[in-house]
Formats: sequence, structure tokens, C-alpha cells
Amino acid sequence: MHILQYARRTVLSASCLLLLVICIQVRIATSAIADPSNRQLQVGHAQSNPEAARLLRLKQSGHLAQTVNILNSLPPTTILQFPLVPSGIKQKFPNATGLVTIVRGDRDNSTSDIVTVDVQKMPPNITFTIFFIEIANKPFGHVEYVADLTTRGDGSGESIFNIISFVSFAMDARNPGTSQDDREGLTSGINLEHLGMWFSSLQDAQQVLNDETLKGTIFDGGNPPLHAGPQAMTDGQSAPVF
Amino acid sequence: MFRSSQPWIARGRNTSLHSNECEALAAKAAFLNGVWYNTILTLFVLLLLGACAGVPSATQATTPKATTSSSGSTSTGSASFPTTPLQLRTPDFGSSEQIAPTVKVLASADPTLIIQFPLVPSGIKQKFPNATGLVTVLQDTKANDFDAVSITVDKMPPNVKFTVFFTEIAAKPFGHAEYVGDVFTRGDGSGESTFHLITFVAFAADARQSTVQSADQTDAASGIQLEHVGMWFDGVNSARQVLGNPTIPGTPFDGGHGALHAGPQAMTDGQTLPVI
Repeated sequence: MHILQYARRTVLSASCLLLLVICIQVRIATSAIADPSNRQLQVGHAQSNPEAARLLRLKQSGHLAQTVNILNSLPPTTILQFPLVPSGIKQKFPNATGLVTIVRGDRDNSTSDIVTVDVQKMPPNITFTIFFIEIANKPFGHVEYVADLTTRGDGSGESIFNIISFVSFAMDARNPGTSQDDREGLTSGINLEHLGMWFSSLQDAQQVLNDETLKGTIFDGGNPPLHAGPQAMTDGQSAPVF
Repeated sequence: MFRSSQPWIARGRNTSLHSNECEALAAKAAFLNGVWYNTILTLFVLLLLGACAGVPSATQATTPKATTSSSGSTSTGSASFPTTPLQLRTPDFGSSEQIAPTVKVLASADPTLIIQFPLVPSGIKQKFPNATGLVTVLQDTKANDFDAVSITVDKMPPNVKFTVFFTEIAAKPFGHAEYVGDVFTRGDGSGESTFHLITFVAFAADARQSTVQSADQTDAASGIQLEHVGMWFDGVNSARQVLGNPTIPGTPFDGGHGALHAGPQAMTDGQTLPVI
């Protein structure tokens, strides 16, 4: 009987102790959330991220396209997003959508940027090429082939790649020239500040768009020349998107 | 009169009971208390034993019973795991007339194509003659959305940032170029970076001149092929400091930060024939 009473007391004491520990944990968690410095970490104001604030000012002054969202990321990261809209596939796939997300770490200490391209309601099971370009619309100007994206059966797809994007440029080192970058000032070469997607294959484009008269373009690597199709998606902006 | 069937309740509420009756009731209550706690304790122990019995032992979890089939594969119940390595093959990657002799095409499992080639010091040859670099390019030849490029360097100038470019020509004047990433060296002069991008069919083009073509490893292709890899000093000032030469001119081999702020080439594949 004494043993049982002792066990009962022990169980009761342990329960009380457990309750106390839970209360302390809850109190610690609540005070952590209430702490202003932690709240700033959670919200992440653009004002506390100089690079994001700078890009925001550029957008307000029209030096960055109005379609660009500069996210409230924590320093030293810079994260922006902008949409892609249908260009060459507008007639057949008017509801196609694209979203580009670019993440850069520290401006001076990251080895490359992470670019994610997500698309929906595109022609299914088709490979598209992705290019950084000088001009969003024809004649596109200087270009850099960066990746491919193959859509699934439901027309969705995504591609993630690591490459220099915020300061990408094209040049012939024999005559590099310069161009004016709104974020960086005068820079070497021709800045590539737009992104577009092209049909990797002219035949695919002719079939999908039901147009045998479409002509080949340069927008894919490898042989033969001009085997790529027309532009499918564009950022469609005059001002830079990155 | 209220007679509770629960003596411990009656004991607390009916204070007019006789003392003998109270003692009897107290004894009965204590007895029932004991039975109650015994039952709970037994249930708790049973539950604990049941939980322990449900957890497989470490030996059981890590060494499932395996049976080897006649084909050489091992089966563990419904799952089947291979016991032999994948067969390797050396995929085609251009001919010896089209690819630099320094390029090694590795025997790898289908569908991968893996090549490796060295980088050698160019602009840093005087000060860092033992600097080495190794470039590894991996491609999934079937789902080729991009290639993976890994650059590893050693015995380079320490704590310096270098830019990596794909170029038309390995040596001066380099021709068309594409900025792909950076490499930071550590204090011991080593460093590495990995990029995911189009590599084997990288090209430069001005879409206004769509008739421009050039030959790649297999045939003619659009634009100017970028088939070499080089590394440049990210800043001309760090190059001047590292190389002890304040007259080194700036180059265009870095993005942003003002025109011609980069330094000279540090490492090159040094080949006339393509490496990528």
C-alpha cells in the first residue's frame, strides 16, 4: 500500500514537473515572437535590405520594368520575380503563364545566381530554349543561351539553373564596347536584361501552331543552323527585368 | 438518506456515521484505491511493453533478410536492389581532329556524358607556375535541359575572386565571350565552383544577323561557338597587387562595376581545338 501511495505521489509530481516544463517552453516561444528584432527577421523590410531598396527605387523611377517584384528578402540576398507572357503561342495558348524567380546571394561574394523558370498551360511535351536577350521583342539583339525547359503532359514545367544573370552581358573581346546599366552604371559589353523562351525545334512549332510557313530561328544550340522555332514566351518589357 | 455507492464520496460527505463504520469504509476505500492504481499501473506497463515490441531492433532495421536471385540481383521481400555496378561506356564526343587532346571523355553510365580537361596558368604563370585547374562537365544526354560544370583550382593566388568565361578562342584576343560564374580562392589558393547552364552547345549571337554560322563538334550551327574556358582576375587592382605590376590594363572580363575593371586572364585551357 505504501509503495502504491509512493508511486501515486511520484506520478503526480512528474506530471506537475512536465506541466511546468511545457509552460516554460510556451513562455520562451511567445517571448521570442514578441521580440522586435526577431519580428524584423520574420517580416524582412526592404528598408533593412539596401540592395532590395535600391532596386525598388529603380522600379519607381522606371529603370526597372513595372512587372518586376522585388521581394522583401533578408540581406544580403536579392530576390526578384517577373512574369512571362505568351508571344508566339498567344493565339493557340492565350492562357499560358510563366514566372521567373532570380535569387542572388551577396552582391560581391556569390559565385552565380539561381534562376527558376516556372510555366503553366503551355504546349505539352515540348522542349523550349531559354535565352537572356538584349531586347524583349524582335529583333532581340545579342543573346545568350542559358537553359532548356521541357513541359509535361499537362503543359506545366520548370527549369532551375545557376548562372550569372544580374550582370550578364554579351561581348566580342576584340571590341567589347560599353553599355549603360541602370544598376551598375557604365559596364563592359552589351547588357542582357531580358528573358525569353523559344521552341527548340521548328518542326514542333509548326505542328503545335499548325503553321507550315514558320521559319527557322537561331534560338537553339547545335546543328543544323536555324533549326529552332519562334519565340513562345517573353517578358514583354521595354525596361530591364533584371 | 443518501447512500453513495462510492464509499470515498460518502466518507467525505456524511460526517454523522459511526466511527467503526467509518473505519470499515476507510479500509474499503483504501483497498479500492489500491486496486484502481494497480490496474492503471498494469495497463501502463502493458502499453509500454507493447510499444517496445512494435519497434524493430537495430539489427532488424539495418539488415533485412536478403535473398539472391539467379540473375545476380538481391531481393528483400518485394524490393529488389542491384548488386553489380552499372555498365560503363565511353560516349562519342567529336573526333580527335575536332576535340583538343587534353580532353578526357570518361567511361560513364548511360545516359551521362562526362568530360574533363585541365586549366593551366597563363597570366599568373610567372608568380604561380604550379597553379592547376580541372574542369568537369556533365551532361544528361537524354534529358538535356542544361549541363553541370565544376571547376576546381589549386595553388592559385589566395583569397582572390576570379571570373569564369566561355570564349571563342582560348588565347588573346579571345573573341566572343559568355560570363558564366565566379571562383573564390581560399587562403591556401584552392577553390571550386559549380554552375548549371548550357555548355556543350554554348554560342554567342546577335539575332539581327541570323545568317552567322560556325562549326561545332559535329557540324555547322547557328552563331559563334564558345568552346573554350578561361579564368580572369575579377578586379584589375587585385591583379596588379598579386602580380606586382601597377601598369596592368583593365579588361572587360567581369560584369557590372564599371567598364574594363577586370584584370588579365589567369588560367586557360590553352588549346586551339575545342574543349567543350
